[in-house]
Amino acid sequence: MDGIGFTRRQALSMSACGFGQLALAGLLNDTANAAPANPMLAKQSHFPQKAKRVIFLFMQGGPSQVDSFDYKPLLYKKNGEELAFDDARVIANTGKRGSAQKVMQPLWDFNQYGECGHWASDLFPETARHMDKLCMLHSMHTEGVAHGPATLFLHCGATNFVRPSMGSWISYGLGSENDNLPGFVSICPSPGNGGARNYGSAFLPPAFQGTTLGSAGRPSKNAKIRDLINGRFDKKQQSEQFDLLRQINSAQLSDRRGDAELESVVSSFELAWRLQNNAPGVLDLSDESEQTLKLYGIDEPKTTDFGQQCLMARRLAESGVRYIQCTYGDGSPNPAWDQHSNLPKHLDHARAVDRPVAGLLEDLDRRGLLEDTLVWWGAEFGRTPYAQNNGTGRDHNPNGFTTWLAGGGVKPGFAYGATDEFGHKAVENKTHMHDLHATILHLLGMDHTRLTYRYSGRDFRLTDVHGEVVSEIIA
Amino acid sequence: MKMPFRSYIWQCFAILTWMLPPTLSAQEASEEQLAFFEKRIRPVLVEHCYQCHSRNAAAKEKLRGGLYLDSRQGILKGGESGAAAIAGKPAESLLISALKFESFEMPPAGKLTVDVIADFEKWIADGMVDPRDGQIAADRKIDINAGRGFWAYQPLSQPAIPTVAGVQPATPIDAFIIRKLQEQGMKQVGHADRRILARRLYYDIVGLPPSIEQIESFVKDTRSDAYEQLVDKLLSSPAFGERWGRHWLDVVRYAESITLRGLLYREAWRFRDAVISSFNADVPFNVMARQQVSGDLMEAASREQREMNLLLTGFLSMGNNNLEDQDKAKLRMDVVDEQLETIGRAFLAQTIGCARCHDHKFDPIPTKDYYALAGILRSTESIINSNVGRWVELDMPLPEAEQKQLDAMNAQIAALKQEITKLQGSGGDNAPIAVDALEGVVVDDLDAKLVGAWTKSTSSKNFVGANYQHDGAAGKGEKSAEFTPPEPLEGEYEVRFAVAHGGNRAPKVNVTVWSADGESTTEVNQQKKPPILGRFVSLGKHRFTANTDAKVTVSTANTTQHVIIDAVQFLPVDLKGSPTKVVTDEDAKERAAALKVAQATLKKLEAERPSAIRYMTVSEQKEIGDTQVHIRGNVHNLGESVSRGFLQVVSHEDSPVIDDTQSGRRQLGDWLVSSQNPLAPRVYANRIWHWLIGTGIVRTVDNFGTTGELPSHPELLDYLASRFVENGWSTKQLVREIVLSSTYQLSSNSNENYSAVDPENRLLSSMNRRRIDAESLLDTLLVTSGSIDNRLGGSLIPAGITTDYDFPHDSRRRAVYWPVFRNSLPDLFVVFDFANPSMVVGRRDVSSTAPQSLFLMNNDWVIQQSQQMADKWLAQHELDVQSRTEAVVYTILGRKPRSSEQQLIMQYVVAAGDDKMERQRRWTQVIQTLFSSVDFRYIY
Repeated sequence: MDGIGFTRRQALSMSACGFGQLALAGLLNDTANAAPANPMLAKQSHFPQKAKRVIFLFMQGGPSQVDSFDYKPLLYKKNGEELAFDDARVIANTGKRGSAQKVMQPLWDFNQYGECGHWASDLFPETARHMDKLCMLHSMHTEGVAHGPATLFLHCGATNFVRPSMGSWISYGLGSENDNLPGFVSICPSPGNGGARNYGSAFLPPAFQGTTLGSAGRPSKNAKIRDLINGRFDKKQQSEQFDLLRQINSAQLSDRRGDAELESVVSSFELAWRLQNNAPGVLDLSDESEQTLKLYGIDEPKTTDFGQQCLMARRLAESGVRYIQCTYGDGSPNPAWDQHSNLPKHLDHARAVDRPVAGLLEDLDRRGLLEDTLVWWGAEFGRTPYAQNNGTGRDHNPNGFTTWLAGGGVKPGFAYGATDEFGHKAVENKTHMHDLHATILHLLGMDHTRLTYRYSGRDFRLTDVHGEVVSEIIA
Repeated sequence: MKMPFRSYIWQCFAILTWMLPPTLSAQEASEEQLAFFEKRIRPVLVEHCYQCHSRNAAAKEKLRGGLYLDSRQGILKGGESGAAAIAGKPAESLLISALKFESFEMPPAGKLTVDVIADFEKWIADGMVDPRDGQIAADRKIDINAGRGFWAYQPLSQPAIPTVAGVQPATPIDAFIIRKLQEQGMKQVGHADRRILARRLYYDIVGLPPSIEQIESFVKDTRSDAYEQLVDKLLSSPAFGERWGRHWLDVVRYAESITLRGLLYREAWRFRDAVISSFNADVPFNVMARQQVSGDLMEAASREQREMNLLLTGFLSMGNNNLEDQDKAKLRMDVVDEQLETIGRAFLAQTIGCARCHDHKFDPIPTKDYYALAGILRSTESIINSNVGRWVELDMPLPEAEQKQLDAMNAQIAALKQEITKLQGSGGDNAPIAVDALEGVVVDDLDAKLVGAWTKSTSSKNFVGANYQHDGAAGKGEKSAEFTPPEPLEGEYEVRFAVAHGGNRAPKVNVTVWSADGESTTEVNQQKKPPILGRFVSLGKHRFTANTDAKVTVSTANTTQHVIIDAVQFLPVDLKGSPTKVVTDEDAKERAAALKVAQATLKKLEAERPSAIRYMTVSEQKEIGDTQVHIRGNVHNLGESVSRGFLQVVSHEDSPVIDDTQSGRRQLGDWLVSSQNPLAPRVYANRIWHWLIGTGIVRTVDNFGTTGELPSHPELLDYLASRFVENGWSTKQLVREIVLSSTYQLSSNSNENYSAVDPENRLLSSMNRRRIDAESLLDTLLVTSGSIDNRLGGSLIPAGITTDYDFPHDSRRRAVYWPVFRNSLPDLFVVFDFANPSMVVGRRDVSSTAPQSLFLMNNDWVIQQSQQMADKWLAQHELDVQSRTEAVVYTILGRKPRSSEQQLIMQYVVAAGDDKMERQRRWTQVIQTLFSSVDFRYIY
């Protein structure tokens, strides 16, 4: 019998059975020839999760911490004075410490917000209204003085070596909560500064690479999953064709019944079919209320683009995507927040993201999603408290900057660590990017030292041989 | 001699410290010193340091830097960076500089207070009294000799062909396979059907689907050596190199851009084409290996060989490096590391990179070996440093005769240029030019009609004629100038205005051209250096007729700074027609004629000069030498120097010797493929087996270390490796031998009874069915739709682009030629498990994911190819539905349709009735569906 007699239901149940076998095949094994399985099946975490998913709001280029969340009154007092600083770029290029730099005071006024009374500048008044939800990390430090290396380090934990990105590690470790959607989605990723490597799976199986929607510098409303929609045939025609495919595959499988790999190919079509019938809705913002759109700033030209990204992120989070990244950036080598010579331009960028970010926090909170969704706002590094070349901008600063987290099991209204009195170098409770990575994995229920993959003869980790979980910030 | 008081105190102090025995132990220490340790030092160590620097930490695998701070001995011995403290010498103690954040920054969570650091200084100065007498474990040392015992490092053996009972193995390969099966009481299944065999062979050897005719002619070929004939035919096809070259490109992480800024490797394709042609020419692999590592240093018997040598060194420069790293010392070593890792994995299947920071934890590769090799590549220039570094590209040397000709041409061009400058009366942009040295009609300021007082000047040198004039920054608006040609002009001219520019000039001077089309005003910035000859600004192209009052006027209105007038040039756009030159004397006439001749000759020479071929490569560093061990891989923490050399575990007495005049790459190449090194032939033979059979004899094809897998058939592997070497490292011979084996020709329908004993078919009782890969998928669609463009070689990167971002891949060429852009691979590559072009990939992943299915179901290109194929078959009007169905299925699946398939498809297309559009749509969908079916996705 060659399978022609199979009914549609039989064919379906057959592939469902195939699915069961796949689940058994498991994915965390790194033997040489694991049977190709559906790698996205949900997996057990190492210990109970505080966060089920992450939304990373990437502020590409490096916003200035001393103009936003790291309040340093001394900068006003010393404004314009030339003092010796250990400038990261000077050290990397020449090894020289203590070069003369002109202190530059913040360009925006600071106020205290919320019950916690933490400081924020007039750059982010909307975000600041949610201060009691935020957990500030003032003592961040990282590797890489230029965007390329630091951006790769932020995403992959290495400045140069080709390593899997964080979203890929998380996808690999946890699979997807939703059979119909990918586990790792990057909305409008920048093609610059590491580009595809920032959402690439490197030596992890390609299935764990990020699914990209759109590209930085292009309107987010055009951000779509590739090949999800058939542009040639209508629904009925597609459905007929899919039936034909099922029947032909089932006929062909009749010779090789029980071949798990062939079944996995067949079931991947079932998955795709479900995806194509369900996923477009996930990204369709048209059913959102006017009120919601407004909340995200999708009623104003300035905030619409990032607002759409944030709203898509919420919808993806709601649908069970594990790791969602939104990028406020562009494709240039000196990306959005990179104000070397014109710091006042920070205001344009702040205006574009402030309302959408605040809207996202509020919306997640209202829907009860903030509880198990970790929101991470940050960049590849911060900026110097002194002017670059005595000008009107600030250079890169990997030695001290601020990142904030919210929801997903971190302490709300909390501030951790500190930079020196100028806001230059992290000095108190220093938190390295590796530490942040370790902490985020921990919140997701994974031990960063145990989330490993054997490649080229050794076990690799996102945190290499480093990283300490910052347990002080965990609620 | 009088000594200043201060200095005296210091001397006393120094003597005092010197007198304190550095080995002061607890017994000899005073109570007070002990109390100081217990109260001020120990608590700090326990709280801030033990977490990472104690035996307890080591037990939890949390020890950092090999440093123990939980015993006095541990501190004195120190970790990977050397002693942590020298008793009595706080200033020389690493511990203190680390606490001060001057060397390391310890503890990492934040600097301790000044008081605490002062306590540590005092403690060390006072001799480090410390009652903790714990012993630390001796360092683990790698025993190279013991390491040689591992199978992969053993010399190649010449195993006897096993005899097997009952059957006569067709080839030695089969004897090895069958013997193992017999040990398990197993037998091989029968041979595959001839159609399946033909399809298998075509995809494996040339990566393309066979046509119906090709399959049928093989099926009908009754000669006893029909199969062998087909094998040989395919091996000699140029498509062999495209298929097998691509396999190798996976291994050498071939790409045409880097992710950083999407910078293009524009010349990388030459490396790719060199690989393809090397495979087609069956260049011995030991030669190819050496060419890739050291081609630039090898002698060549011919120019062609020299060219291949140079092109193949591109191997070393394909890495996906982060050229923007600001720490250039680190970048340099990162590049070296990338090259070492690639060489190690590609040729030796060794994970050398593991030894960058510490001795290899599993394999007999000490850090010293890593830096012995690193010294070779560090003596090689791969990156030219700047803010964003640059890889090395050179011009291909020409054949001697051509080079001589080129040199001569270059000399002639240089001389001509000099002559032209002289004829123009100019020493460059910054010297005066004679009026008659210029082409076209030139009106000098001396011939201009001036209004108001203008002052002559020669202060700036970039003027025309004898001088220029300025308005003295006075009488603004009242002064003006008018340049009129001596005779009426006819035709189209480019009008140029000369400005002897300078800082004090007016930035906005209105200059108006009056032409047949009316007046046109240009705002000239007289502060900026003009773009043409350093003195002319173009006022655009204008049409003049005999009746036109052709002129150029200069206004000083609305300016505050100096306005300059110098000359106006009317340059005919079309040299025919109007006079091109106004000359005033015989001398100038001659000069102008000579200039014209010189300029024409120059133009001709430059056009004739052969353009150089650029290629990616590396070169030798100016300073060549050994390098130091980088402690924990840190470029700023250097240890002992290591002589350049190779892996000790596979080095022998006659390993090549590296001298001080060369980087040692040449010797590295020789060592890689030396007869003493068993790794290279084993690794390569195993790769070929993997590419043909679907799994390697060692399945971890890029890792033959102790963390890799063991060979399933070690003797067969050695047999293949030895045969390979005997046959002059010929890839084609080895491929041929494997596909001629009976094992390769087995059916892939496994014997169900063996699924428990050998679930992964390691013993090869049947052939493995394999997934069609990205390239074969793409090529098949192009071939079956009839749109394939079969040209060989060349670059597909268009001239206009500068980055690889969002590249719109679209070509009818074979997949191997599609640009491998690291930021934007073709969607089909991304989805169908193409090798990550940033790393060595000897074995591709095989996944079944929803995006693959979405691609086949919805991608427009797939539908387009399907439709083209549909149109092709629909145009064959003589076919009826049944024979058309047969032909379409046969073309895509390489076999006749099953009756069920035939029935399903016919039902589907017949539903279209007589509607032409509907018929096309339905056939398109059928074809697309066949491309999605498992029998197409697999090579059985």
